[in-house]
Amino acid sequence: MQLSLNWVSRYIDLTDLSPERIARDLTMSTAEIEAVESFGDALSSIVVGHVDECGPHPAADKLSMTRVSDGSGESYPVVCGASNVRQGQKIAFVHAGSRLPDGTKIKRSKIRGEISEGMICSERELGFSDEHEGILVLDPSAEPGTPLTEVLAVCDTVFEIDNKSITHRPDLWGHYGFARELAAIYGRDLKPALEGLELSIPSKGESLSVDIAASFGACVCYQGIVLRNVEICPAPAWMRFLLLAIGQRPHNNIVDLTNFLLYDLGQPMHAFDLSRLRAGNEHGEPEINVRFAQAGECMTTLDGVLRELIEKDLLICDGQGPVALAGVMGGDGSMVDAGTTSVFLESANFDAATIRRTSMRLGLRSESSARFEKSLDPAMAETAAKKFVALMAELSPGSRASGPMSDPASWGFAGMSVPLRCDRATRLLGVDVDEKMARGLLEPLGFVLHASLEAAGEFSVDIPSWRATKDVSIEEDLIEELGRLHGYDNIVPVAPLAPARVPVRDPELWEVRGLRNILAGDLGMLEAYNYSFLRDDLCERMGLVDLPYVLVTNAIASHMSRVRRDVMPGLLGCIDDNLRRDERVALFEIGKGYQPESVGEEKALGGKIVCLPKEVLQAVAVLADRGAKAAHPYSELRGQLEHILRRMGRSGLRTLQMENAPGWMHFGRTAAFVHGEGARATVVAYVGEVHPGICDALDLEFAKDAGGVAAFCIDLRALLAVPVAGLSYCAVPKFPEQPVDLAILAPLDLQVAQIEAALHAAGPKIVRAVSLFEVYRGKGLPAGRKSLNFTVTLGSDKRTLKSEDEEKYIQRVRLAVQELGGELRG
Amino acid sequence: MFQGLEELRTRAESAIAEAKDTTQLVACERSFLGKKGELTEQLRGLGKLSAEERPAFGAAINQLKLALTERFETRRAELEAGELRRKLTGRGFDPTEPGRAVHAGYLHPISQITHELVDVFTSMGFTWLDGPDLEFEYYNFDALNIPSDHPARESQDTFWLSDGNLMRTHTSPVQVRAMEKTKPPFAAIVPGRCFRNEAVDASHEHSFYQMEGLMVDRDISVANLIHCMKTCLREILKDEVEIRLRPGFFPFVEPGFELDVTCPFCRGQGCSVCKKSTWIEIMPCGMVHPNVLKAGGLDPEEWTGFAFGLGLQRLAMLRYGINDIRDFTGGDTRFLRQFVRS
Repeated sequence: MQLSLNWVSRYIDLTDLSPERIARDLTMSTAEIEAVESFGDALSSIVVGHVDECGPHPAADKLSMTRVSDGSGESYPVVCGASNVRQGQKIAFVHAGSRLPDGTKIKRSKIRGEISEGMICSERELGFSDEHEGILVLDPSAEPGTPLTEVLAVCDTVFEIDNKSITHRPDLWGHYGFARELAAIYGRDLKPALEGLELSIPSKGESLSVDIAASFGACVCYQGIVLRNVEICPAPAWMRFLLLAIGQRPHNNIVDLTNFLLYDLGQPMHAFDLSRLRAGNEHGEPEINVRFAQAGECMTTLDGVLRELIEKDLLICDGQGPVALAGVMGGDGSMVDAGTTSVFLESANFDAATIRRTSMRLGLRSESSARFEKSLDPAMAETAAKKFVALMAELSPGSRASGPMSDPASWGFAGMSVPLRCDRATRLLGVDVDEKMARGLLEPLGFVLHASLEAAGEFSVDIPSWRATKDVSIEEDLIEELGRLHGYDNIVPVAPLAPARVPVRDPELWEVRGLRNILAGDLGMLEAYNYSFLRDDLCERMGLVDLPYVLVTNAIASHMSRVRRDVMPGLLGCIDDNLRRDERVALFEIGKGYQPESVGEEKALGGKIVCLPKEVLQAVAVLADRGAKAAHPYSELRGQLEHILRRMGRSGLRTLQMENAPGWMHFGRTAAFVHGEGARATVVAYVGEVHPGICDALDLEFAKDAGGVAAFCIDLRALLAVPVAGLSYCAVPKFPEQPVDLAILAPLDLQVAQIEAALHAAGPKIVRAVSLFEVYRGKGLPAGRKSLNFTVTLGSDKRTLKSEDEEKYIQRVRLAVQELGGELRG
Repeated sequence: MFQGLEELRTRAESAIAEAKDTTQLVACERSFLGKKGELTEQLRGLGKLSAEERPAFGAAINQLKLALTERFETRRAELEAGELRRKLTGRGFDPTEPGRAVHAGYLHPISQITHELVDVFTSMGFTWLDGPDLEFEYYNFDALNIPSDHPARESQDTFWLSDGNLMRTHTSPVQVRAMEKTKPPFAAIVPGRCFRNEAVDASHEHSFYQMEGLMVDRDISVANLIHCMKTCLREILKDEVEIRLRPGFFPFVEPGFELDVTCPFCRGQGCSVCKKSTWIEIMPCGMVHPNVLKAGGLDPEEWTGFAFGLGLQRLAMLRYGINDIRDFTGGDTRFLRQFVRS
């Protein structure tokens, strides 16, 4: 909202305060001021001119030749096209070389053969109105050469208010509300909203029948009044300048006056052309009926759009049908125009939720709906109607209210009070609050404090109607008023008196934090963040469409309605672009997925059990390598997973062929890391090659027989459920250890785990470590065989091993391997 | 006889002088002083001489041997010094040539900021908590004093789910979850992912990261809130920032504030980041609304508290000068590789 300083100054004297000071104080106590701008600067090059001579243009009937002097002693030939230009007038003059407010530069030019060295401005050229038929004629007393802005009260300071900061303050949607705030901030007098106005509303006479019964309370109050002998003409300059300053273009006196009151008190009103309001039958009088729309009913609003209505839309109807969408926008058939002579003025109050729903459903937000949806003070409707009638005496002097106000609701403020305890305020603010301070801060805002008879420092506070609709309803609301007007900057910071204790650590959060550091720090992977949504295209390419998903009913885009079940698909989708740039891509992501086929958290709410879908927490990593001679990255990635498990104290997991591997994994080449036995067995992690079909679908291309993509996924909640194996220290050997290299030719289906077990069993007292350093399958080996090369470290705590020990061990290995169907070579 | 010895000395001395490196010198030494060297041959020839001639000639040979040995040693030292000197010249060495690249990994900037905040707040006694991303309407709205007819609910920015739940629009639902689980006094932070149905552009994202903070005790006041925020913001922004509180409205706090810090970019000079205001709005906060305390099972007459929220992307954007919020999402390594230190 734009706030004009001239406008606010109609109600409070601020002459000694700089705009910057006012902006700062409003920001700190009331609402954020985003900018302070001066209005009228664009008019700075326009001066008062005197028309010294005025005669016909020799070559054009409709043009005049004038000489204009600007008080400097110089005068200039000016060609003027306006019919109302006369010798002796004081006019608004722009010299050639200067600019109009819209930025147009006025040039010295020849018009139909005559030189023109400037321009005499119309109101439109000055940006004052749409009037361009004639020039603007100034008061004869204006001194030529004086800047126009000194002659007309047009210069203003405009504060740009952040609307977000006043959404909870229905009283701040007009200048008067801000004047009230400033009066409280500076301790100054506030003039009454109707001060200086003559209120002349007849107690008898013509009034329209207004029926609001069918609004079922959605029309809280309705003040209607008939004005006759209205003459449509421009509004006075002072009003137009105020509207211009806040960015509102003036139209005519009636429209400008309703606009003025909209921004003055914050009360939206609607002026109907009385002659266009229809009666219910041929001989009847026009009447107003406020009701909800019938299903399928339509109306055309002022903006020319035909609106289809539903039963929740509130309408203002005349005897025949809708004439306005209540509180949102008028209809196109009943508006005031240049020929209007009689006006029916509506100043009403509507239920906030009703207006908001209609305005949102239709995508039709107006200045009116924006205010009503904040819960305006119903008392303001009457004040605004009275101010309208009173100001009409100036705006259209012959006009008059032809009867009393229709007021079918007879709404009256029932009063409201909220308790306030000084000690509670002191406790919450951390500032000593006493009666004097409470009264001093609250009373200027219209609150009335009644001291309690029982307890000192306790009050019952009457809330004024303009703060009672929703914003102030509990003690804390009053404490906020105290805090903001006292100034939060004046509160001295105090350290909280908290007992010293170590915060409880949620192991999940802290272990996952450690895991992130292992993945990035130890393993050199980059951490990616993907959306929690699974894009349709990715879902389709990866063949995941048939799985159950949590669905968003109002997705940001139609292809983003699925909530991810797993973190992996999104991360796999990150590889292709990177792999085009880099030969090797190593990424990880830790995040949540949701699997609706299982129930997660449950909660009893309102007698019902509601539940969330099962949430999984996963750490996933992908390693892709497209090097021409690169090995498949599976082995490297698996080594990384094993490292993680060791680092997290969970290295004792069994590894099995993964059953039911997810669709993106190569089901024949994926290993599961399992905790527990039998029915209690849980897959804690899997690692494997990514399915070749998925690589194709994701456009991941590799050299023949080289490289590829591997991936792992850790189910973090399953992992964290595995007990941590403490670190057990092994003394550094005192006797030298003996490495023995063993080459074993084994059947393809003989698993490394079995051979390792045999290598251990062959010398349980002397085997210190078994490590596989090479596996070879392929050329040069008998069919159905693979070659495995191990280094076994032998050692003893008691002595240095002899060559016989090694020979005996090898002999036992030879036999053990034979039993497994393999062969120890060499 | 002696003449032959002199001639040998001359040849040996010039050979020593001509040796270009230690290898040549060793070969030369061998040819004169080795087992089959010329001087050794002379020694062997001593036996053929008469007893009178033998002592003088023998002495002359030994003298020559000593002299040559010394010559060889001197020359060897010379050559070795020269060779070391040559090894130590840096010819062809380019001090600007970088080393081989390592496969280094880094945390996502949001993770880095989260960890840093967690460190600051846990050191101040706050507990790190988490909550579900998909949330009950109850915790996200009702429990936070946002009743069903409240505009914040009707507005288009909540993602609703087919099962009637929603994607949390803030980390605040964990306020009431924490109150239900923990007996006060307590203090907690909740960094996490939130969702709002907002059109995406350079400064708006439908998925974003927030950190909720909450402290509940018997007499928590605005004065405590100011103290706490001042302390932690100085730690996070690593600067002696000033802060100011001004009125702000959020349904789950009363009184509510916007917290501004002095712009860290211009330090109060006015710049494009703070739009010349010298202040940056960084944190909505306030005193926990009595209805929220009640929802958490706490008596507002007995307990008071403050709560705050911090936008993590905004903090990261301010810190690193990231100007497009969309860059945070996705796996573009050209983005992820840059955050080598926080």
